[in-house]
Amino acid sequence: MGTTVTHAPATEGLSKDERSEPRHGPADAPSPAALLRRGRRENLAGYLFMSPWIAGFLLLTAGPMIASLYFAFTDYNLFDAPRWIGLGNFSEMFADPRWRHSVRVTLWYVVVGTPLKLLLALGVALLLAQNRRGQAFYRAAFYAPSLIGASVSVAIVWKAIFSDDAIVDRTQRIFGIDAGGWIGDPELIIYSLVALTVWQFGAPMVIFLAGLKQVPRELYEAAEVDGAGKWRRFWNITLPMISPVLFFNILLETIHSFQIFSSAYIVGGGAGGNACGPADGSMVYTCYLYVQGFENSRMGLASAMAWLLLVAVALVTAVLFWSQKRWVHYEEGA
Amino acid sequence: MQQNRNVERRTVLKAAGASLAVAGLGATATACGGDSGAGDGTVTIRYAWWGAEDRAQRIKKTIALFEKKYPKIKVKTDFQVYPDFWKKFNTQASGGNPPDVFQNAIGFLRKYDAKNVLLDLSPQVEAGNLSLDGFRAGLEKFGEVDGKLLGVPVGSNSMALVIDKPVYTKSGVKPEQGWTWDDFDAAMKKIREKAGRAGDSGMYGVMYLYDLYLRQNGKAFFTEDGLGFTEADLKAWWAKAEKGLEEGLYADPKKVAQIKPKSAVAAELAAGEFTWDNFTVRYTSEGKSEYGLAPIPTTDGKRTGQYLGSLMLSASKRTQHPKEVAQFIDFMVHEPEVAKIMGYDRGVPATQAQYDAYQPTDPVNKAIAEYEESLVAAGVLEPITPHPNGADICEAAFLRIGDELALGTRTVDEAVKQFFTESKTALGT
Repeated sequence: MGTTVTHAPATEGLSKDERSEPRHGPADAPSPAALLRRGRRENLAGYLFMSPWIAGFLLLTAGPMIASLYFAFTDYNLFDAPRWIGLGNFSEMFADPRWRHSVRVTLWYVVVGTPLKLLLALGVALLLAQNRRGQAFYRAAFYAPSLIGASVSVAIVWKAIFSDDAIVDRTQRIFGIDAGGWIGDPELIIYSLVALTVWQFGAPMVIFLAGLKQVPRELYEAAEVDGAGKWRRFWNITLPMISPVLFFNILLETIHSFQIFSSAYIVGGGAGGNACGPADGSMVYTCYLYVQGFENSRMGLASAMAWLLLVAVALVTAVLFWSQKRWVHYEEGA
Repeated sequence: MQQNRNVERRTVLKAAGASLAVAGLGATATACGGDSGAGDGTVTIRYAWWGAEDRAQRIKKTIALFEKKYPKIKVKTDFQVYPDFWKKFNTQASGGNPPDVFQNAIGFLRKYDAKNVLLDLSPQVEAGNLSLDGFRAGLEKFGEVDGKLLGVPVGSNSMALVIDKPVYTKSGVKPEQGWTWDDFDAAMKKIREKAGRAGDSGMYGVMYLYDLYLRQNGKAFFTEDGLGFTEADLKAWWAKAEKGLEEGLYADPKKVAQIKPKSAVAAELAAGEFTWDNFTVRYTSEGKSEYGLAPIPTTDGKRTGQYLGSLMLSASKRTQHPKEVAQFIDFMVHEPEVAKIMGYDRGVPATQAQYDAYQPTDPVNKAIAEYEESLVAAGVLEPITPHPNGADICEAAFLRIGDELALGTRTVDEAVKQFFTESKTALGT
C-alpha cells in the first residue's frame, strides 16, 4: 500500500497544466531542437505582439530623433533640401539676444518655480500625513489640480484669471496695488506661469505623503522620549528619512520645469500679437524653439535648440545624481 | 497544452492577418485620397483658408453653389485662424501635401514662389478655364510676380483709420481727406482732453501704416529684395511713438495686450486704430459703439500713399487637378451669387460683376463701399510696392518689436537695431 502511493505526491505541488505535460522523465521529453523551435516560435509571437509598439517607436520616436540630430547641423527651412552648416546653428543661437532671453526666462522659471512647488507640496503633505477627519477629501482636493492642470482649458482659465480687470487684478486693487493684469505685463506674466505650476503641487505631494508614511514611528517615539521638539524631529528624522523621495521629486520636477511649453504658449499666446507673451515676457525656451521651427520655418535651428535642451537637462540631471551622495540617505533593508 | 498552443497560434495568425488587412485598407484609402479620382470622373480638391466662424458659414454656402454648377468637382475645406493657418500650411507644403487651392496674401507670394509651392495660373488663363476680364482698378495684376500669375484677388481693401464715431464727434474732431499728421496729432490731444480716451491703440507697430508714411515721403517699406528705408527713418518714427505714449495719447499697451485678439477700439481703450477698412465689420460685431472710417493722414496734404491690398486665391504647384482648381477660382471671383453671400467679408469684391451684385444695405458695409469709392474719386490710389521673400517674418518682427518698445522693455535705439538685425536674417541681405 505504501509503495503504490509514493509516486502520487510528486506531482502534487504542480499546477494542472504542468501535470498534463510532465517536464521530467526521459520518456516524452522534447529534443533540444524542438525546444529551440518552440522558443523561437514563442519569441516570434512576442515580437509580433510588440510590433505595433516597435513600429511606433522606430517611426515616431527614434526616426525623428535621428533626423532631428542631422537637421541640427543643417540649414533647413522645410522646403529646400537641408544644407550642411556644421555648428552654424549653435553659433547663431549664442549670438541671438532673443535666444539668450529665452534661456534666462526658463532658468528663472525653473529656479523659482520648482522649489516653491516642492515646498508647498511637502508642507501640505506634512499636514495631510496626520490622521484627521475628512483627510481623504483634502487629499483628493489638493491632488485634483495636478490631474487637470496640464490641460489647455486650465491654461485658458488661468489667462482669464490674471487678465486686466479680472479677479486677481480686482483683488490686488482692494489692497491698494494697482498693477493691472499680469498677462499684459512683460515683467509679471512669468509669475502667473509660476503660480500655475505651483498650484499643481498635488503630484509631488502624493509622493511625499507616501514617503512620510514609510518613516518608522519608533524613531519619533524615541526622539520624543529624548526630549526632541517638533522642528528637531523634522530636521533630524523626517527630512533624512524622506530624502530619497525628496530627491526623486526634485529630479522629476526640475526636468518637468525645463520642458514647460503648453501653459506658456497658451497663457502668453496672442498677448501682444506674439506667441510668447507681451515683449517676450513669457518666452520660455521651448516657446522660442516653436517660433523658430513653425513660424519662421527654421527647422534646422529648432532641431539644434532641441538637442541643446536635451543636453542641458541631462547635465542638470547628472549634477543632481552626483549631489545625492551627499544628502540622500538610503536605509539599509528598510 | 498542445491544443492550447494551436489555438494561440491560430489567434496570432488571425490577428496578424487582420492587422495586415487593416494596413492594406489604409494603403488603399490613402492611394485613393492622393489621387482623389473616382471611377466616374469626379475629382476632389482641397481648399484651405484662414478666418473665423462667420467666414466659414459664408464659404460653405459658396461651395454648395459651386458644387451644384460643377457636379463632378467636390471641394473639401480646411480653415484656421491666421497664424495657425500658415503653420499648418508650411507643414503640409513641406510634406508635399499642400491644399490644391488656398487663400493667400501679397506678403507670401515671393516667399512661396521661391520655395516652388505656387502654381503659375497663366496657362489656365490661356486654356480658358480662368478669366481675368472684368477686374476693377487693375486688380488682375495683383498676383503677378516676375511674369507669373501666382494669385487671383477675391477682394480688395485699403488701409484706413477705423474710428469710434461718437467719441470723435464728442471731441469735435472731423477728419477729412487730405488732413496732415499735424492735424492728426492735434486730434489725438483733443480726444484725450474732451473724451478722456486715448486716441489710438498703438499705430507705430503697424507695418502697413508705416509703409504708407514712407511712401508719402518717396520711400517704401520694401524694395524687391530688401528694406526701403534707413535706420534713421525708423528711429524718427518710433521716437514719435515713445513721446506719444509718454503723453498718454495712445492706449496703455499693457491693456491692449490683455484684450487681444479683441481690438482696442471695440474694447473702448482707444478712439481709433489704423487697419484694413473691412475690419470695421469685425469691430462692429465685437463692440457696442458705432464705428466709421476716416482717411489716412498725409504729409503734404495730398498724397496718402494708399494702394489696394487684397486676399487672393492661389493654387499648389503639386495639384493633380489644375483645370478644376482654375474653374473653382474663376467661379469664386466672377459668380455674382458668391458676392451676395460673402459681402465685404474679404474686402470689396475684385470683379465689377461681383461688385455690382452686392449692394450693401447695412451702415457698416455701406461705409466701407463709400470709403473705397472716395479713394478712387480722390485719385490717391497708387500701385503696390513689392514684398520680397521673407516679408512675412519682417512684418511679425516689426509688430513684436513695436510692442516691446511700447511696453518699455526696449529703448528706441535698441528696437531699431534689433529690427534691422532680424530683417537682415529674414531677407537674407
